[in-house]
Amino acid sequence: MKKLVALFLTLALALTGVAALAEEFTVYLITMDLMDQHWVNVDAGAKAAVEELGKEGIKVNYVWDAPTQGKNDAAQIESINNAYANNAQAILLASNGPDTQVATIEQYAKEGVKFIYVDSPANTEAFQTLATDNKAAGQLAGETMLNKLTEMGVAEGNIGIVNVNSSTTSTQLREEGFRAAFEGTKFEILETQYGEGQVAASQTIAENYITQGVVGIFGANEGSTTGTGNAIKESGKDVVGVGFDQSDAILQLVDEGALLATMAQNPYVMGYQGVLSAVSVLQGKEIVGDKNYDTGVTVVDKAHIAENGLLAK
Amino acid sequence: MTDTVKKRNWFQRLFAVRGMGQVITVFFGLIVLCLVFYLINPNFLSQRNVANLLRQIAPYLIIGIGQGYVLITGNIDLSIGSVIGMSTMISATLMTRGMDPWVATLVTMVPCLLTGLLNGFLVSACKLPPFIGTLGTMTIARGVAQLVNGNMNTDAIGRGAEGWRDFLYYGRTLGIYNTFWIALVIWLIFNFLLSRTRTGRHVYAIGSNVEASKLSGVNVNLTTIKAYLISAFCAGVVGLITCAQAGMGAMDAGTGYELFAVAASVIGGISTLGGQGILLGTVMGASVWGAMYNGLSLVGAPVAWRNIVVGIIVVLSVLIDVLVRSGTFNKARIRAMFSKKI
Repeated sequence: MKKLVALFLTLALALTGVAALAEEFTVYLITMDLMDQHWVNVDAGAKAAVEELGKEGIKVNYVWDAPTQGKNDAAQIESINNAYANNAQAILLASNGPDTQVATIEQYAKEGVKFIYVDSPANTEAFQTLATDNKAAGQLAGETMLNKLTEMGVAEGNIGIVNVNSSTTSTQLREEGFRAAFEGTKFEILETQYGEGQVAASQTIAENYITQGVVGIFGANEGSTTGTGNAIKESGKDVVGVGFDQSDAILQLVDEGALLATMAQNPYVMGYQGVLSAVSVLQGKEIVGDKNYDTGVTVVDKAHIAENGLLAK
Repeated sequence: MTDTVKKRNWFQRLFAVRGMGQVITVFFGLIVLCLVFYLINPNFLSQRNVANLLRQIAPYLIIGIGQGYVLITGNIDLSIGSVIGMSTMISATLMTRGMDPWVATLVTMVPCLLTGLLNGFLVSACKLPPFIGTLGTMTIARGVAQLVNGNMNTDAIGRGAEGWRDFLYYGRTLGIYNTFWIALVIWLIFNFLLSRTRTGRHVYAIGSNVEASKLSGVNVNLTTIKAYLISAFCAGVVGLITCAQAGMGAMDAGTGYELFAVAASVIGGISTLGGQGILLGTVMGASVWGAMYNGLSLVGAPVAWRNIVVGIIVVLSVLIDVLVRSGTFNKARIRAMFSKKI
């Protein structure tokens, strides 16, 4: 039976077309998980950069890895350990938390691994951070919601926030910016609820907010936003939903009017610029762009989707 | 008669140990697995990755030992993952409030062991089905993990805990990460307890036949409680390692680990039906489990494939166990099958 197992493994691996060849540079991308569309777009950007570098004669052995069981601190540390064990020279990291990965990063940085943060930095020095200015983007989300509420003639009421957890820096900053947008208004922002970025859990939270009679709900990441949109759609109530990130499900919800808008980040740019910087550092040159690179956000509402044909594809 | 005993060489003596057959089969399976990974990516057997791999296997081995004891008594412990979470959260919370890491370690083990005691009590004295009893404590322990720091993950445990973190996770002794040595010591102790002491024989006895062991004067309740205590102890230790690794407490730490522990045990030949298997098998099971996740990551297999491959291996292992026990793969029958052809 072990022979069978080995045979199966070999087959499975051969099918996936995996081959590790000796290349000039080994660059890893390590994200929080492998499923969110957001990370798929970071990966797409990184791959594009790898291809371009290849045309210039620079070979990059690029690997994308992340925990297999969803967001998990310990599992992400193991992903970094595996990258180091596989001789990664540079790692583009979307750190799960600000502190958890620090000891691991410092240990390997000492041994010469170049770290570049994409999306979410950790509290230790790296060559570059390519991320959305999350506070500014959160504030933009808040302003978008406030404008709509004002337009609807609503001047007071409760607003709910569906966040991921209390230890993810990026989503914490978004919340901070969002809250800032409502300072000095009569709106009251309820205590934040955490859904770990999972759609089902976030949806339950949003449903509870709607039952409490909120006028608006803010989703701080892809899962939170999808859950929020689903809950608003199901309730059929006039609740203004604003969220973060872009996926087919979210675009659909915006198009149907369940969500007012979503703040689309530019993960592609993170991956693309990140690989360029990593290779540049490995060649002994400077990083590409600013040390703190703001990749910006786009407000994606119904009109934006129609103009750009985002759902037509 | 003494002559025949003397004639048996080391190999035959090795096979004479009950349960060794499966262990050796899995050992060869492990070698094949490693070779496949090595051929695809030579870095798999590099010094860096072997050190890395040994450290990754350690937590699976530790919880596998605990679950192994419980499975051999014919029960199951579903609370392992939650006890890990509880241990992580309690130790981290205490440290962020300024308690010395070593004192915090001792304090943390108390609620962990109490959970084990409760598990054993519910399953033995209260006659609750182990699946239900430990499902309850699983939920309770996860609740405690969420409660201790007010439903929030903790802050970083701070620079004061660096020595403690090195001792459990980041430091090395003789070039190998300490986590591995800790697992080895725990294994040596509990393997001795299971294979060489009366408690160990009782663990096997109640797993094979509860009624018969009762009649022969085995204290079934006490033995069951001991098994659950060991399981909770092991989970508590892994919780501390998880805390040392991340340098903070996460409320969801250890989710699903009870099943990793079942997998490590079952792949290594410990039967879920009770009474069978040895802890050397857990070493193999944990190694296969760890090598699989590490290897699939190193060769860059897509995430969906990783879970599918691992899942199939677990199912196959249990299937073989069931088939062997039901006599489908009986040696005599296989011999008969071949002799017919001849």
